Amino acid sequence: MKDMRKLSFFLKPYKLPIFVALFLMLFELAVELIQPLLMAKIIDEGILQNDLRVVYLWGSVLVGVSILAFIGGIVNSFAASHVSQGFGFDVRKSLFEKVQSFSFTNLDKLSASSLITRLTGDVTVLQNTVFMGLRIMMRAPLLVIGGTVMALLVDAKLAFILLITIPVLIYFLFWVMGRAGKLFKDVQSRLDAVNGIMRENLNGIRLIKAFIRRDFEITKFRNAADRLKNKTAASLRLIETTLPILLLVMNISVIVILWFGSKQIITGDIKVGEVVAIVNYVTRITASFSVFSWLIMALSRAGASAGRINEVFSTHIDLLDMVNADPATEIKAGRVEFCNVSFQYPAAENHVLNHVSFVAEPGETVAILGGTGSGKTTLFHLIPRLYDADGGKVLIDGTDVRQFKIETLRKQIGVVPQEAHLFTGTVRENIAWGKGEATDDEIVIAATDAQIHGMVEKLPGQYETIVGQKGVNLSGGQKQRLSIARALVRKPKILLLDDSTSALDANTETNLLQALEKYLCTTFIITQKISTAKAADLILLLDDGQLIAKGSHEELLRSEGLYQRIYKSQFREEAL
Amino acid sequence: MRRINPSTGPSHHHAPKTAAKPRNWASTIKRIWMYLANRKGLLILVLFTVVASSAASLLGPYLLGVAIDDFIVAGNTSAMLTLLVSLIGVYVFQSVTVWLQSFWMIGIAQDTVNTMRNQLFEHLHKLPIKFFDHRQHGELMSRVTNDIENVSSTLNSSVIQIFSSLLMLAGTVAVMVWLSPLLTLLTLMIVPLMFAGMKWITNRTGRLFREQQRNLGELNGFMEETISGQRIVKTFSQEEKVLGHFVERSEKLKHSGYLAQAYSGFIPKLMNVLNNLSFAIIAGVGGILAFKGAISIGTIVIFTEYSRQFTRPLNDLSNQFNTLLSAVAGAERVFEILDEEEEEKDEKEAVGLASVEGRVSFDNVSFSYETGSNTIKNVSFQVNNGETVALVGPTGAGKTTIINLLSRFYEPDSGRILVDGQDTRNVTRASLRKNMGFVLQDSFLFEGSILENIRYGRLEATNAEVEEAAKLANAHSFIMKLPHAYDTVLNQDGGGISQGQRQLLSIARALLADPKILILDEATSSIDTITELKIQEALQRLMEGRTSFVIAHRLGTIRKADQILVLREGRIIERGTHESLMREEGFYYGLFNRQHAEGHLTG
Repeated sequence: MKDMRKLSFFLKPYKLPIFVALFLMLFELAVELIQPLLMAKIIDEGILQNDLRVVYLWGSVLVGVSILAFIGGIVNSFAASHVSQGFGFDVRKSLFEKVQSFSFTNLDKLSASSLITRLTGDVTVLQNTVFMGLRIMMRAPLLVIGGTVMALLVDAKLAFILLITIPVLIYFLFWVMGRAGKLFKDVQSRLDAVNGIMRENLNGIRLIKAFIRRDFEITKFRNAADRLKNKTAASLRLIETTLPILLLVMNISVIVILWFGSKQIITGDIKVGEVVAIVNYVTRITASFSVFSWLIMALSRAGASAGRINEVFSTHIDLLDMVNADPATEIKAGRVEFCNVSFQYPAAENHVLNHVSFVAEPGETVAILGGTGSGKTTLFHLIPRLYDADGGKVLIDGTDVRQFKIETLRKQIGVVPQEAHLFTGTVRENIAWGKGEATDDEIVIAATDAQIHGMVEKLPGQYETIVGQKGVNLSGGQKQRLSIARALVRKPKILLLDDSTSALDANTETNLLQALEKYLCTTFIITQKISTAKAADLILLLDDGQLIAKGSHEELLRSEGLYQRIYKSQFREEAL
Repeated sequence: MRRINPSTGPSHHHAPKTAAKPRNWASTIKRIWMYLANRKGLLILVLFTVVASSAASLLGPYLLGVAIDDFIVAGNTSAMLTLLVSLIGVYVFQSVTVWLQSFWMIGIAQDTVNTMRNQLFEHLHKLPIKFFDHRQHGELMSRVTNDIENVSSTLNSSVIQIFSSLLMLAGTVAVMVWLSPLLTLLTLMIVPLMFAGMKWITNRTGRLFREQQRNLGELNGFMEETISGQRIVKTFSQEEKVLGHFVERSEKLKHSGYLAQAYSGFIPKLMNVLNNLSFAIIAGVGGILAFKGAISIGTIVIFTEYSRQFTRPLNDLSNQFNTLLSAVAGAERVFEILDEEEEEKDEKEAVGLASVEGRVSFDNVSFSYETGSNTIKNVSFQVNNGETVALVGPTGAGKTTIINLLSRFYEPDSGRILVDGQDTRNVTRASLRKNMGFVLQDSFLFEGSILENIRYGRLEATNAEVEEAAKLANAHSFIMKLPHAYDTVLNQDGGGISQGQRQLLSIARALLADPKILILDEATSSIDTITELKIQEALQRLMEGRTSFVIAHRLGTIRKADQILVLREGRIIERGTHESLMREEGFYYGLFNRQHAEGHLTG
């Protein structure tokens, strides 16, 4: 409930349509309450008295009023729809904005799939709840309250039992609601598990086929689906107990009222008509009460969704612009300096980087070599401030990266990650993705330099060919080169290539590195190849988070044991 | 009393999630019915309890009326006790039957949905790789999640509601006809009016919901892609732009959703107004009839009561209509996948391929993808068992295609592929792949522990065997450094371990599988040279005695191959050993020299 209250903030801009919708709902409710009176009039004064004029008169009033209610209902429908769609849109947008502000650390904690469910399913649930709330939700409670008050007015003593049963039932319903809320959280997490396996299988289908693990996966899925089924059935069944119990308790109340009523009639304390009226009200209360269990279900679902959404909203963004960050600070020369930098991932036990220091002068090419998990990629991440160093400083042009506006900083840095992720869209859009205002010439130049222009020209629609999930299949190397073009088009001051040439053949790689030379930027290349490292001005050799050597190829070759070993492994046999 | 089912409630109050109009009503409903029919026994019980609870819910008010008329009005309390006791019995019976029907129905619905889900999952595994190459995963995911959920919630509630509404409808009409055929006819006159109005509304909502669904799909696809690429968005500092695209799509959804939801709210209002209209007509005409003495006044009074009851189930039915519509459309989308043609079945005479020696030959094989790319033409070669074949060539030359054909992910357009002299088309895929081990370009790991991931290669392997394989793959040492060693859980986003380490695990996985034919598709490209140094030895040991196909860009890693096939634009342009190809001074020679230019100079 608390979660929903928090989100009700999003309803604020819609005060007027909410008022209109609620007003019309009350109007409809009033008409609904008048209708029986009108009908009674038609029957009592018209038909029973054989007075057709009364029938016609009140008949037309009835039709007229119901047409008014109809129009009101339609307007209500539009107003409610306006509010709920607007609300859904606003929540979704804020949520998406929040996710956009997430740091890498935040993203490490909340998985992509769970974020997607929150943005899609959970928002829709809330949106529908709002729509429903503006159309009917208040009706049932109002009818229950109204009915009880009316019954008490008729005879407080006889209707007294309602003051016991109704609160008890309401308490019971809320208890079920609380439990159901918890159960549905479980259901949701099991649903996530089922969907997780499904997603994993869609992504890994090739491997699963290759390993003929169909049956294994199917068993795994079956188990997850069974668990989901059992929990869903259990929670729905809990909800479904409410209606029979409700009916039973209310019906027994009627019997009690009848029993005591009949006694009081004998003593003359109450009139027959009054007993009938009270019984009548109780039946009406029962009828609207039964909507309650459905309301509760909807509300508890909404509550669970609201909780999951709030979890995102309340995530603490741990990497923001510093208060004193100067918007005017830009990368000018591109001198990168690491000053005794250490870094540790939040959940990890060991440091990924340990006291790393080096300087890359403007325009230099720095090659980073190191074994698996030696901290190369982490080192990269610290330059555009994707993570903040725990110890030491990362300086660009002598300024701590934390003193830059994050956006200005990242705009001037081109990153080519190890795994190329493209977005659905044309080749042009994907290249220009890093720089919206890129001209056609710039795109072609970037593509040419990234050694992908020739391939693009051969595609059915050239630069207009759709790539990404929905588009044509590209090989790993082709994706990598598009991702390089995407970085180059920004004309970055600092270029970070994270082993981005791994899927390229040697020929293409040589051409690519040659083309890069004309870019006036400080280039960092994570590489495995001595041939690539050789051409660099500075080589950093990382091992287990330690910078064990830095220098030029010749220097390292002279002095560094590990470097010599790598060198030998790659060149020994060619030295014919 | 009106039965409001908690799981969907009065369905008109919330727009169906997927209400694209089903294209083929009859056959889809028939198919859903086939699922339900599997639980015929329970379903009959449910229907029986619905009848019972309906009867009880009619009997209750009747007895109540009797109690009031005969005892309270008469002031006869002593005789009333028996009646009240039987009334309690009826009420208890009603509650029990109501509870039982939903208890059973939930079981049926969840079983049905579970079956559907499992079938869908199993079917996905039977589909050819081609199918997945051309689908957006988000869209597929939406079918297996949203659409199935839709079917689920409808089955939970609508079946009972529809049945009880029909029951009430039939009962009420029967009584009405018995009371006055003429007035019944008048009452029924509003039915065509109702249908016309409904048609007007559903014509609009159908189109609008379709549009809404399309926009929703688009938005979801966009989010799926963007959020899984969120790290790139951040790195490029493109949050603003992505947000712009998001808002654009989200706004489209809002607009279509606005009208769809608003129109869907018309139906109950329409029913209400028609209801009142019918009451007025009955009162008017009934009045005239009573005036002429054709009908008694009491009949009119009772009749108006029933005419109200008559429209209620109609109302409920129409409310169910939208939910039903969306569920049927959802089911249809699920069935669409179930109807996707399976991977070509193994030929009828296909036999299980026993343990092979590992001779492989391609006999004039040609193939092209539907997109026309990565074509291979007239490829022929032979590999003896235990040999290592390296496939070399520029990106897109068709190296991976050859592997795809060998493992029968795709079928050649012409030519034959033989393993141990047997045409692979004559053996079952499973038995063929059982003899093959893969280390693919994308090291795909599953959510689960490292132990489980390696064991994926051979499910019955013991922990010791898993560890042994990890040691051979040089993965053991880094695994031991992880917080929970072999029990460390890898999440799907691949957090925790590096790309290279992932690849080591997938090599361990292949080692454990112990195949006769080994396929290393860029297996070492994401492993650093130092690690590769260490693993080379292990790989050599693994390749010993196995036929190995190696694709690698680093030519240094394949120079020991028994046979090097140089591919270019889908054709084999050179073949031989490293030495012979170097002597030829052809394409390979150029490729190799470019890659090792510096090496020669300093060497």
